[in-house]
Amino acid sequence: MSDLLVMLFGKPMGIMLFQLLSATQYTIYLSAIAFAGGGLIGGLVTLARISGQKHLRRFASGYIWCFQSVPLLMLLFLSGLGVPRLMGQDVDPWISAMASLTIYASAYLAEVWRGAIQSIPSGQWEAGRALGMRFFAILRAIILPQALRVALAPTVGFSVQIIKGTSLAYIIGFQDLMNIGRRWANAPVDGTEPFIVFPLMALIYFALCFPLSRFALYLEHRLGTIGKTPPAATA
Amino acid sequence: MLELRFFEIYRDADFMWRLAEGVWLSVSLTVTAAVAGFLVAMGLAVVRNARVPVLALLSTCYVEFIRNTPLIVQLFFVAFGLPLLLGYSWPFWGHALLGLALNFSAYFAEILRSGLMAIPKGQIEAAEALGLRRHVRFIKIVAPQVIASVYPSLTSQFIFLFLTTGVISEIGVEDLTHAGVFIDSRTFRSFEVFITLTLLYVAIALTFKACLLAMDRYFFAWKVRQ
Repeated sequence: MSDLLVMLFGKPMGIMLFQLLSATQYTIYLSAIAFAGGGLIGGLVTLARISGQKHLRRFASGYIWCFQSVPLLMLLFLSGLGVPRLMGQDVDPWISAMASLTIYASAYLAEVWRGAIQSIPSGQWEAGRALGMRFFAILRAIILPQALRVALAPTVGFSVQIIKGTSLAYIIGFQDLMNIGRRWANAPVDGTEPFIVFPLMALIYFALCFPLSRFALYLEHRLGTIGKTPPAATA
Repeated sequence: MLELRFFEIYRDADFMWRLAEGVWLSVSLTVTAAVAGFLVAMGLAVVRNARVPVLALLSTCYVEFIRNTPLIVQLFFVAFGLPLLLGYSWPFWGHALLGLALNFSAYFAEILRSGLMAIPKGQIEAAEALGLRRHVRFIKIVAPQVIASVYPSLTSQFIFLFLTTGVISEIGVEDLTHAGVFIDSRTFRSFEVFITLTLLYVAIALTFKACLLAMDRYFFAWKVRQ
């Protein structure tokens, strides 16, 4: 692929494109991990948020509020510089980036899913209880199938946020598209000036994000869920 | 090893001064960019809603492009790409202001557009029936209702965007994050420094929220609320 790009675009441009595209895979991996991890933790937080126990509910609300209010940049600085210095131990940028993006994603996803679950009328819960079903049985058989419809579009929409968020991980030394691109923009090579490299990077990010945005919009129309959840993750 | 030494930050007058200046610059740049962005967003939303032939398409492309690329790439392009391309040189904060305003405008435009689409047709028809001219109709009837109805969304979007503005430190603006990175480089107390920064960001966000809520009550007192 490297040779092909060099053949098509010439020396500096082809090499740069190849490096940018191969760095993009780390952006994708990090996004996928953050989405999966965030989904897992976010799911647990959602469960705690709607559970019958007051303390669990309080804790979940606190968690969501806290990590929605903390800037992602600060999470990255804290996990990439703060905690390692405090413990006196080096931490791999992968771990730090994964940890901060996972926490970030979990708070937003939990908020989206809480909104979706609470948008289901409480009569559905009561009906389940009247039938003698338990909490998890009601959740699995009655609530989740309905809430899924509402939650799907904003969840897909939030993945765009995660991809855009990974662009900040270069600050703690993570080697992704942003990091490589910035290095090319700073390199004194003709044909890789900032006004060429940065639009190219923007195009690559756009190519990753735009289909997801469109898909989220399509789901909204298809499932008829426009404006049903609070726009926690519309940004 | 595991000890917190916050006093290393607050006993130093220079550090405190830098933090204060950082807060000021972060807040003023964000607010200015938001106001400018809002005005641009109004234009974008109106053009798109009225289906002006070429402009509507351009505005859609612009909004989608900004919303689907990271702020940091946009800022780098505005700060390092554009000046080289067009041969101008601005102070750092000028680049940050332009970059943030462009970014904010796209997000606000999307919200305003949904507000414009949701306005009841009867309102416009009533205004037409009263013989109001087009611009009067927009300024007196349409705009106030649209802004009032999307105000909560605009508020939360603004807070969300404010929390992302720390990246302007990466293009050399001495904002709050920049002050934090500076203090970190002098003291090596990274954890304490960034905890302090986080608290400051949260405090500013809460202040913004309170102010915007008060403005909502004041300017849109006529709005029907649930």
